[in-house]
Amino acid sequence: MMRSALLIVLIVSIQVLGQTPLPKYKGSILFSGGTLHVGNGDVIDRALIGVEDGKITLVKSGLTYTIDKTEYDTVIELSGKQIYPGFINTNNTLGITEIDAVRPTRDFSETGLFNSNIRAGIGFNTESEVLYSVRTNGVLYTQATPRSGFVSGTSSIMALDGWNWEDAVLKMEDGIHVNWPKKITSTGWWANPGPNKKNKKYEEHKNQLIEFIKSAKSYCEKKNHREKNLKFEAFREVFQGDKRIYFHVDFANEINEVVDLSRELKFKFPVIVGGYDSWLLTERLKENKFSIILDRLHSLPEFDHDEVDLPYKIPAKLEASGILYCLSMHGDMEAMNSRNLPFQAGTARAYGLKNEEAVAAISLNTARILGIEEAVGSVEEGKIASFFVSEGDALDMKTNQVVLAMINGRFLDLSNRQLKLYETYSKKYQD
Amino acid sequence: MRRLIFFISLCFLTISFGQKTPLNGVNDADPTIYALKHAKIYVSSEKVIEDGILIVQYGKILNVGANFMTAIPQNAVEIDCEGMEIYPSFVELVSDYGVDKTPINKKVSKQQLHSLKGEQYYWNQAVNSEFHPAQNFDFNFKEKKELIKNGFGTINVHRMDGVIRGSGMTVLLDRKKESFVLSDRSSTFYSFSKGSSRQSYPSSQMGMIALIKQFFYDLEWYRNQEGPKGNLTLNTSIQNEKLPKIFCVRDKLEALRVAKLGKELGLDFIIRSGGDEYEAIESIKETGLKYIVPVNFPDGYDVSDPYDQRFVSLEELKNWYEKPSNAYFLDQHGINFALTANGTKLKDFIPNLRKLVKRGLTVESLIRSVSQRPAEYLGVQDFVGTLEKGKIANFIVCESDFFKSNRARIVQNWIAGQKHEISTITDNELAGVYDMNLSGKIYSIEFKKKSEKYSAHIEYLKTIQDTTEGVKKDTVKVKAPVDYSGKNLSFVLPIQDGHFDGIVSCNGSFYKNLGLAEGNATYNSGDFFKWSLIRSEKTKEKKANSSFKLDSLSLDEVLRYPNMDYGFDSLPTAQTYFIKNATIWTNEEEHVLKDASLLIENGKIKFVGHGTVGLPMDVIMIDAKGKYVTCGIVDEHSHIAISRGVNESGQNNSAEVTIEDVVNPEDVNIYRQLAGGVTTAQLLHGSANPIGGRSALVKLKWGFPAEDYLIPESDGFIKFALGENVKQSNSSSRNSVRYPQTRLGVEQVFFDAFTRALEYEKEWAEFAKRPKKEQTAQFKPRRDLELEVVLEILKKKRFVTCHSYIQSEINMLMHVADTFNFNINTFTHILEGYKLADKMKDHGVGGSTFSDWWAYKYEVKDAIPYNAAIMHEQGVVVAINSDDAEMGRRLNQEAAKTVKYGGMTEQDAWKTVTLNPAKLLHLDDRIGSIKIGKDADIVIWSDNPLSVNAQVEKTFIDGILLYDHSISEEMKKRNAEERSKIILKMIEETKGEKGLRKPTRKKRHLYHCNTIGE
Repeated sequence: MMRSALLIVLIVSIQVLGQTPLPKYKGSILFSGGTLHVGNGDVIDRALIGVEDGKITLVKSGLTYTIDKTEYDTVIELSGKQIYPGFINTNNTLGITEIDAVRPTRDFSETGLFNSNIRAGIGFNTESEVLYSVRTNGVLYTQATPRSGFVSGTSSIMALDGWNWEDAVLKMEDGIHVNWPKKITSTGWWANPGPNKKNKKYEEHKNQLIEFIKSAKSYCEKKNHREKNLKFEAFREVFQGDKRIYFHVDFANEINEVVDLSRELKFKFPVIVGGYDSWLLTERLKENKFSIILDRLHSLPEFDHDEVDLPYKIPAKLEASGILYCLSMHGDMEAMNSRNLPFQAGTARAYGLKNEEAVAAISLNTARILGIEEAVGSVEEGKIASFFVSEGDALDMKTNQVVLAMINGRFLDLSNRQLKLYETYSKKYQD
Repeated sequence: MRRLIFFISLCFLTISFGQKTPLNGVNDADPTIYALKHAKIYVSSEKVIEDGILIVQYGKILNVGANFMTAIPQNAVEIDCEGMEIYPSFVELVSDYGVDKTPINKKVSKQQLHSLKGEQYYWNQAVNSEFHPAQNFDFNFKEKKELIKNGFGTINVHRMDGVIRGSGMTVLLDRKKESFVLSDRSSTFYSFSKGSSRQSYPSSQMGMIALIKQFFYDLEWYRNQEGPKGNLTLNTSIQNEKLPKIFCVRDKLEALRVAKLGKELGLDFIIRSGGDEYEAIESIKETGLKYIVPVNFPDGYDVSDPYDQRFVSLEELKNWYEKPSNAYFLDQHGINFALTANGTKLKDFIPNLRKLVKRGLTVESLIRSVSQRPAEYLGVQDFVGTLEKGKIANFIVCESDFFKSNRARIVQNWIAGQKHEISTITDNELAGVYDMNLSGKIYSIEFKKKSEKYSAHIEYLKTIQDTTEGVKKDTVKVKAPVDYSGKNLSFVLPIQDGHFDGIVSCNGSFYKNLGLAEGNATYNSGDFFKWSLIRSEKTKEKKANSSFKLDSLSLDEVLRYPNMDYGFDSLPTAQTYFIKNATIWTNEEEHVLKDASLLIENGKIKFVGHGTVGLPMDVIMIDAKGKYVTCGIVDEHSHIAISRGVNESGQNNSAEVTIEDVVNPEDVNIYRQLAGGVTTAQLLHGSANPIGGRSALVKLKWGFPAEDYLIPESDGFIKFALGENVKQSNSSSRNSVRYPQTRLGVEQVFFDAFTRALEYEKEWAEFAKRPKKEQTAQFKPRRDLELEVVLEILKKKRFVTCHSYIQSEINMLMHVADTFNFNINTFTHILEGYKLADKMKDHGVGGSTFSDWWAYKYEVKDAIPYNAAIMHEQGVVVAINSDDAEMGRRLNQEAAKTVKYGGMTEQDAWKTVTLNPAKLLHLDDRIGSIKIGKDADIVIWSDNPLSVNAQVEKTFIDGILLYDHSISEEMKKRNAEERSKIILKMIEETKGEKGLRKPTRKKRHLYHCNTIGE
């Protein structure tokens, strides 16, 4: 009783503080009584979650497991609330852009066609105002991803909390991003498209890209080079299987060519990013060890004849096929829109996924695809204590109310610039 | 009698061609009379003579009639046209052959706000009425031969440049005796294309429509002005005023826009349309206008790849399949149309005309539309277009069944009596195998004909000395070219058989009835000797294509509403529906009704609530147990369903334009919004300038014509905008010259516009105060469409929806409005509305905002998702809008975010996308809630509409079921079947064709506020 009261004080004090990372909570905490969506497909009622030194030490159901709560320094009662693993945002510029229309704040498009060596994490701005409006909806990690060129660079997996990027980084170089050329392109610019046509340079560009990757492979087959090529060096871990290779590609013909390349070069963890047509090719993709990061579901169908709700239905199609996939927010204004990632999963649930499958599609599935499932993605013993508590269903915008969140055993300040403005101007009208 | 005719026609000739050129030499007048006999003569579409005679002299038709009734003048040159057909040669209405192009201004480094033509011309560079082709016409243009070869006799040329393009000139394609101009000024031209003008205005189609309107009002005013008239553009326009006006457009939607424009201006345009008129045939017919229809049928697609195939939409497939039937459908519906080769390669013109016939257009209708009507449209029907006595001898002589047989050729094209041989009149008479006697030695020789040329193939035995096998004989075949002109025959044979060892050159006569030829030959240029041929076997003529098969389509069967993916088979109608056992959200005092019923009848809500109600016989029952029923969603800010430009960004004030002019009912996003429960939308002009254009308030009546989208008797709205977009902050440095470039300038644009509008009002008031006899055109002020609209705002007859972000500018505009004594109706976006909600409340303005957008540009860094909640709490009428085709179909979810951010109640949240926007659009007396007597715009949801789990099951507008989830799935299947049917035909018809179009990625125009350009 005493201890619970203590916690209330603690939470209030968090909200008063500014947006500086809080220290790791010293001592052991028990989160008791909430409904836990583990992330791996399981639900645990009246969950008991123990946390100590930034790690999850206990995950049990209070229905079947009895515990001496006094063993914990702090007990937080969460009955009636929903607990989720921190959601993971992938393929996004969050943290490496602030306001897209203001050029000085954009740090995601390097010049040149092949930039495998650049690393997004070192540009990650832990003081971005946008970050704090994202984590308040339960998104606690993001894959900072560079754009542009044929090989846009190496992405980094970052926690949405930390004094600086070094604090925030979970995995600095998780994989290299390849923008596969498009076979059919539209000319003009987005608002005023010219005649759309076959990309005459498709073969040329594709071959240029393949040649680059093959050169990287043959370079990496040798350990030491007199003259180091940083672009090729970046691939070394890809071929060893320690890094992912992400192919950004949407349509079936191009996907097939990516699969062909991957078979030839024997990539260990190839990933399709975008994957509008991936559901047409699940068998082949599965056979060749591909996983899929889908683009934002809240998108218009690509073709007039597509069902009006086709994008919403793709996750259920992939789920049924058994292939590993996850959801992303990639698309217009993606940084600020990252906070809507949970609702992508909600939409996928409305169109065929089970609730726990939908949760997995933005947590453990994602962690597995990115290669960080040992550390995060689910609330399981031994993993990093990164999870959040919502008053209601976190996948529904109507009920998503995050009241408590933790990264690495550190409680999060759930305030943000927007909330502060809300409070400030609410006061204006109180007089 | 004959002499008399001769005399008359001669006089006519002299009159029409006008002048006497001094001769260099002796008089070369050619009085030869030609009599073309035994032809099937299409005198006009009404009159066909099976066995006719056409008599020609001095370039005119001296007489035409049945063979047995028409006497041939004694001295006539008779031409036997047995088996031939004679048609009036084609008249082309729309072309620019021989007309020089406008030199394009070098790229200007900054936005070009004014015309570079100079003050003596109209202020807009896309208005070129002063241009006339005669100024610099090159009669020896390179396509002339090609035109003659393809059956044309007369063409109308103009310079294809600008929105208002100048005049056309009608010329004959042959100009013996300088007689080629038929009509110096025959027509004037208009289009929806700026051409060479780089002036910023107009940047959109609605801008072009406004420009044309203003131009004609300016013309009217200018005409009545006294004093010197120095505007060359307007002067020419006055001169040309009575000429037929031809308006070139791309498709049926544009055609209907032109018809509407013409109605307002009292002008009957002739419309050079897009070849898809059948898709809106009833509306097209209602215009009562004449149409010039292209035959530029789409090429087939390469559909060999099942994945790439998907890039071709059903709309494109259907167009490929159906467009060749367009002319037939138009003819069936009694629409007055002509055909044009404009847009078609000349070599494809006749093959495409044949496609029309194959699709059911009669030959009579065809020649009416390809020669007779074009001549009528240009007012030159007394000279060309038909083959009546006295007309200019413009006709083509063709092989029989010309429009039905792909092999039939044009043999001659006569222009003003000048004969042009197109292909030689020979049949296959020479073809066959012959025995040839060459000074006693007999050879076998065969004459073959291929593409109008004969060749000789001779066989002989050649003796070869072989070192191992001794003497050997080998059969040798040699091919040699043949010159044959109907009688005289010559050819050169290389022979090396011991008997001859070189070149044998033969010349002689062929007697076709006997199958014999004889003449003299020379061997290696030596002495002449005799040769003869006797036919042993005649090559059988391949039967000229008698396989003409009619392949007409039925419009009822092919047409969808709209004619594309998810179009209806027939237009749905309002039915009587009884929805029962539903949870109904009314938006009225009692908001949630459980287990309640709803009766829809005649497009209105007839009953809502509990208890019993008498049901009509034809009622359709819908059991909505477990479902939610609401009124339709109203999107206060949408840019879907707009053609060619959402912004008229060329000027800082474009009040003269209206989205109502450019509603596009064929945007698939309309159907997608219905699938998200949206029934009503304000289609807004963009935010590129402080005073934008007027809105269209529409119901999303998928399948219906554009006019039916507009909500009748609704109030008028206009878009204003503030901030970064209007000062072009996020644009390239090119766009740094248009006023305003600062928020300070923005305010002055408004002050200036309203000040001028008041002066304008005064000017008209003073005119109205003049004595009656002075209220004449001479004193009438100039009509200014822009100021008229601005004045409407001050008169509270038009209401402002203003794009806005930061509080300073919002404050500013409310002050401007207060100064001029009116209210801003709605601030849209209004992302800092929460900072001055009290002031907004005092001003009486509503706020239509995004649920959670921010941080995409500098001026939205203070945007917060609690905005709606704060404004609502302060008593502002708050709506959540989309500004985005994708978000538009999830507005229920966006409304739900107001519950999450700021804790609005579900009822209030739901109103932000229904009743509140209806209030902001002044439509809450008929939509926005479920109340007896209101429009039956109803949505049935699978779940609580504010939940992410909710899906739309049915959407009704005015009692018409326009979206039904299960029907949509059936439609998808139907689409797929139709696709495969057409793809199969495409594969059959395009087999072996090269250069098929690769499927293209179709990108629809997705407009947002700041979209510039078409």
